[in-house]
Amino acid sequence: MTWPRWLHWLQRTPPAALDDLQRQRLQHWQALPDTDWQQNARHTRLLVVDVEASGLNLRRDMLISIGSVALQDGGIDPRQAFEVVLRQEQVSSSDNILIHGISGAQQREGMPPAEALLQFLEYSGKAPLVAYHAFFDQHMIATAMRRHLGLHYQPRWLDLAWLLPSLFASRQAHVVALDDWLTRFGIRNHRRHNAIADCLATAQLLQMALHRAEERGITTLKALAATERLRRHNNPV
Amino acid sequence: MHSAPNPTLVEATVSFLTQHSPFDGMEAAALQFLGESLQLAYYPQDSFLLTPDMGPPPFFFIVQRGKVLSREDGDIASHNLTLSAGECFPIGASSGSRATVCHYSALEDTFCYRLPAHLFAQLLTLSPVFNRFCASYLSTLLGQSRRDMQLQFSQRALEQQSLATPLRDLLKRAPVTASPEHSIEQVLAIMGEHNVGSVVMVDSHGQPQGIFTQSDLLKRVVLPKVDTRLPISQVMSTRPHTISRHASAYDAALALATHGVRHALVVDENQVLQGVVSERDLFAMQRIGLRQIRYAVETAADMTALHQVGRDLRQLTTNMLAQGVGAEQITQFVSALNDSITARIIELNLQQHDLYGIDWVWLAFGSEGREEQTFSTDQDNGLLYLCPEAYDKDQVQLRLLDFAADVNADLDRYGFPLCKGNIMASNPALCLTLEEWQERFRRWIASPDPKALLNAAIFFDLRPLYGKRHLANQLQKQLFAYSRPNSLFQRMLAANALSVAPPLGLLRDFVTEDHHGEGGWLDLKTCGSRLFVDVARVLALCYGMASSNTAQRLEQAAAHMDTPREEVRGLIDAFQFIQMLRLRHQHLEQELGRQGDNLIQPDKLNPLDRRILKEALRQARRLQQRLKLKYQL
Repeated sequence: MTWPRWLHWLQRTPPAALDDLQRQRLQHWQALPDTDWQQNARHTRLLVVDVEASGLNLRRDMLISIGSVALQDGGIDPRQAFEVVLRQEQVSSSDNILIHGISGAQQREGMPPAEALLQFLEYSGKAPLVAYHAFFDQHMIATAMRRHLGLHYQPRWLDLAWLLPSLFASRQAHVVALDDWLTRFGIRNHRRHNAIADCLATAQLLQMALHRAEERGITTLKALAATERLRRHNNPV
Repeated sequence: MHSAPNPTLVEATVSFLTQHSPFDGMEAAALQFLGESLQLAYYPQDSFLLTPDMGPPPFFFIVQRGKVLSREDGDIASHNLTLSAGECFPIGASSGSRATVCHYSALEDTFCYRLPAHLFAQLLTLSPVFNRFCASYLSTLLGQSRRDMQLQFSQRALEQQSLATPLRDLLKRAPVTASPEHSIEQVLAIMGEHNVGSVVMVDSHGQPQGIFTQSDLLKRVVLPKVDTRLPISQVMSTRPHTISRHASAYDAALALATHGVRHALVVDENQVLQGVVSERDLFAMQRIGLRQIRYAVETAADMTALHQVGRDLRQLTTNMLAQGVGAEQITQFVSALNDSITARIIELNLQQHDLYGIDWVWLAFGSEGREEQTFSTDQDNGLLYLCPEAYDKDQVQLRLLDFAADVNADLDRYGFPLCKGNIMASNPALCLTLEEWQERFRRWIASPDPKALLNAAIFFDLRPLYGKRHLANQLQKQLFAYSRPNSLFQRMLAANALSVAPPLGLLRDFVTEDHHGEGGWLDLKTCGSRLFVDVARVLALCYGMASSNTAQRLEQAAAHMDTPREEVRGLIDAFQFIQMLRLRHQHLEQELGRQGDNLIQPDKLNPLDRRILKEALRQARRLQQRLKLKYQL
């Protein structure tokens, strides 16, 4: 699913006006140094990200919330988490609300999107982002960044949907659902489709994956990314 | 970046915790605190979570999923422990901020919640429930050590039932009872009919009012020619000694020995009679009976006979150690029997000394005064008397000194060595009238110089042993009248009690000393039990507590100071554990023919005892800190 570059430009809506302070904050983020991907993954702050959207249509659907849980020094700390609901002009369908549980009122009373996204940038810095089926999260966030901040957002992601089967022998050749992995490792998700609860479960998978990777001599972020790429290449969807 | 804790993550943690004890009973605020503070970490199979060389544990762990193996140094498989979801560790090391004794490793892939070390103390203050949970952990350890010790001594133990058996399990048949209104004749008929040696008189609620035994028959009925139609209440022993059915056989034995009675009435919570335990029942459990020893003591015609009794006494205490009877009970027991031996020695000497017309009381000081004697204790005693008006005081004192010198010498021959510091009744400075004693106590308290404080440590733990006991009580009352309002004295005494710190090392487990030409020794008396004893004394003098016994003092002080029960229990357990180590050590030394001292090498203790000793010394530190706080030292 790759749009020709010029199509993006056609799609682009001019960013909502940012005030001076917001512009400064954005610049500050842009000036942050990039993470060195040669460094040891276990000693890097990794952010597990999960988004909820008004649907699964990449083009039409809107980003409703971002949830993120940090893995730092081997631990998941409740004080190092991020959760925001973006204010929606149009509330998502009731079927959709039933999935993520973010009510119409909550959507209307959410944070102005530009501010929400800025806060996410400040929370995440240039830390590597991790998700299960990262493509969707990646796309929804990038689209919102472009629309509301005018930012060409291209952080590097690690995708557990590819990494896990590569690290843990999997009988299925195809990519399975997150829930299958959670069941396999006995990880309980106490509130499925809550962005944070999903992140918490995914972060536990990440902890296991990092240890397993290390056992195989895969220690750097770069090596992890290469492992992921290899799997993706050998098992095209 | 540190921000407010995420409510969903907090909720996930809390909902896990509430499925497991002790967290399920925890206060909401404490749970919230845990939810906000716990980090979730992953440990793959065979990886180590915590080892002794990490020093004070960086985290307190709660297993979320998986299994953790706790293995002790020394590889004793029996001490290995598997911890699964909801269990937490290391309780001892975290509460003491000291390195753990165990190696903790993941038996399988494991997730654990981790509480950063600096928040552990906060949790303890925030949650009384969790605090209690941790406190009871220590006592469990103590129980385990006691079982281990039983094993150690079991080869030497005789084929006996344990003295720890609750009385309710020893009662074999319903008691034979009668009403106090029954005539003597009727009661004798009942005795004949049931073929029993004793009948208990109970009221309409079943509560015992008196007891009548076969031996009473001769002395109280036949010889005085009492009319047998009279009600039994006229000849029965009233206020018989009762004991709870939950008490142990040991408690009953001690009660029989100290009160010199042959039957104890076992009652339930409502004082309703459940049965009778006679000394015969209890002696069936002991090759050497308590009463036998006591009887032998009381009737010993001379010192040779008493000497034999002493050997039996040692044998009996060995058996008690072997049966896992606690230090508290053994020391009390040793004291009770030593008391009766001393009393007998005094009685034997009174046959040669005429003290008629003089009111006097034999006082015990120091460990004897506190009823905390171990196997090797030298004499600490004194005499208090009232000088009759018509008498010449010097003459009276000389007569008492003569008498005391003989008693001291006999006690020495019996096995209580003469006191090196001459704290003995035969010392003219310690054979004083009530007024002289009071004046002396007043002086020590009014000007507490180092010498006075040293004296306080010996003489203020006083207890009457023989003679007019009320004189000792008068002296004690006056002592409190001086000590209670004098906060300067209390402060000085407190500072003195704090002058020795518990021998706990920062790097090593224990701070040890050189003795016998090598290092690694620890003095269980000066650096162990004395820490508790000294603090308890300060509290006794501050609150005017009549008891001279350390455990009782601590318990009574707790009421004044609002100390939680669990904490006091922990303190007393710790003190008793150290006493137990002393007894065991001295006993083994004596078996090897050496004079028992108080020096042990902690490295040679088994790992569990070493660990508990450490816990016990930390309790001492806690106690000292309380005192420090109280007197702002």
